[in-house]
Amino acid sequence: MKTVFINCSPKERFCASAYFLFLQRLFTGGTKVYEKLRTPADQAGILEQLRDAQAVVFGLPMYVDGVPSHVLRFMEEMEVFCRENKLCLNVYCIANNGFIEGKQNEPLMQVFENFCSRSGLTWGGGVGIGGGVMLNVTRILFIVDIGLLALNTVLSIVNTGDFFPKAAWIGFAENAALLLYFNLGVLFYLAVMGRLISKGEYFGKRYTRILIPSFVFILFADIFFIITSVLEGGIFKGWLARKE
Amino acid sequence: MKVIIHDLGPEYEALIEERCGKAVAADGKYAPCQGCFGCWTKHPAECFMKDSLQQVCRVMGQADEIVIVTRNLYGGYSSAVKNVLDRSIGTSTPFSTYRGGQMHHTLRYGKHDLWKVVVYGDISDAEKDTFRYTAERNALNDGYERSEVVFLNDLTELEAAL
Ligand SMILES: Cc1cc2nc3c(=O)[nH]c(=O)nc-3n(C[C@H](O)[C@H](O)[C@H](O)COP(=O)(O)O)c2cc1C
Repeated sequence: MKTVFINCSPKERFCASAYFLFLQRLFTGGTKVYEKLRTPADQAGILEQLRDAQAVVFGLPMYVDGVPSHVLRFMEEMEVFCRENKLCLNVYCIANNGFIEGKQNEPLMQVFENFCSRSGLTWGGGVGIGGGVMLNVTRILFIVDIGLLALNTVLSIVNTGDFFPKAAWIGFAENAALLLYFNLGVLFYLAVMGRLISKGEYFGKRYTRILIPSFVFILFADIFFIITSVLEGGIFKGWLARKE
Repeated sequence: MKVIIHDLGPEYEALIEERCGKAVAADGKYAPCQGCFGCWTKHPAECFMKDSLQQVCRVMGQADEIVIVTRNLYGGYSSAVKNVLDRSIGTSTPFSTYRGGQMHHTLRYGKHDLWKVVVYGDISDAEKDTFRYTAERNALNDGYERSEVVFLNDLTELEAAL
């Protein structure tokens, strides 16, 4: 059983799709191949990987209520390739969007369903995840937390010879539990989908999101964009103005 | 102003130009969005990539009515047309608000009137449903009062649909 995971984010680094595909691979059995689709030059290599695969999982961002244009280009190529080589693959997708409602991925999911019908492939379903950017930040915060714990442990050994600084561990556990809570919906659906991918079965469409209230989410999103716009300078260049 | 975005060949140029204030040819001679959000946070309503879509937000922002002529692809826009849409998110601002009971961005250019999609090419019933739904979602997301989708049997019907 071979599954090809395609990270379709055009971003080079820190993309949410990479995070969700990392989780999905943890929950999926068999041979796993991870590919990136950023430019047309990546297409041929991915198509070759599909030849002997049983399943393919697209991990992608939602752009303007749909599939990003460079992914559509690939899908057209893949349709022809699958027909010519009479491939029977199960197709799954993990779509994430910036807004909090995962349900906003529904039109994108339908496009994948229609793509499968045209290509003679089996639609296995997918997970639509709201608040993808912020969930990706929770992963980064978790890594920072591990770093802090390591640093505190070293400091504690140097200063007092104590190998187990209790306060630092409690702080770490509290943060980790909170970050885990935000991700529970995602973890649950990806775990279930992983099991079904491994068995070659149908999952259907499911929607989830970062588990925080939406007004809190909007507040954080606005603060995030204010800070980045200050750092990148856009705020001083007619940030919200109509531009003729 | 009426803006037409289309993926048709040069033979339709004269007709399109005659029917709108501004036409955007989705000829595929431009790069896909890189997802950097620079058109919000670095150089508002402008892309860092210096091609024909660098200023496309500023054109689409001025539209009361937008007409998108596209080949059907899986119940959505052709990739050349979708590329234009992906590069146009600078028509909104990075700030969030609620519209239609869900989260969306506030609008740099205020409310628009009509989001109309004219679809040609072979299409199934399921794809038609997806297209209608997508156009509705786009209209809400981009701040258009209403949406409309027209399916052409062939391009001879184009003139009447514009
Ligand atoms: C061009 C563009 C269009 C987008 N359109 C939407 C949208 O319509 N709705 C939404 O919720 N998020 C939208 N987003 C946000 C992305 O879905 C979000 O940033 C996602 O987490 C990116 O995933 P990635 O890091 O894997 O690339 C858009 C982002 C870009 C760059």
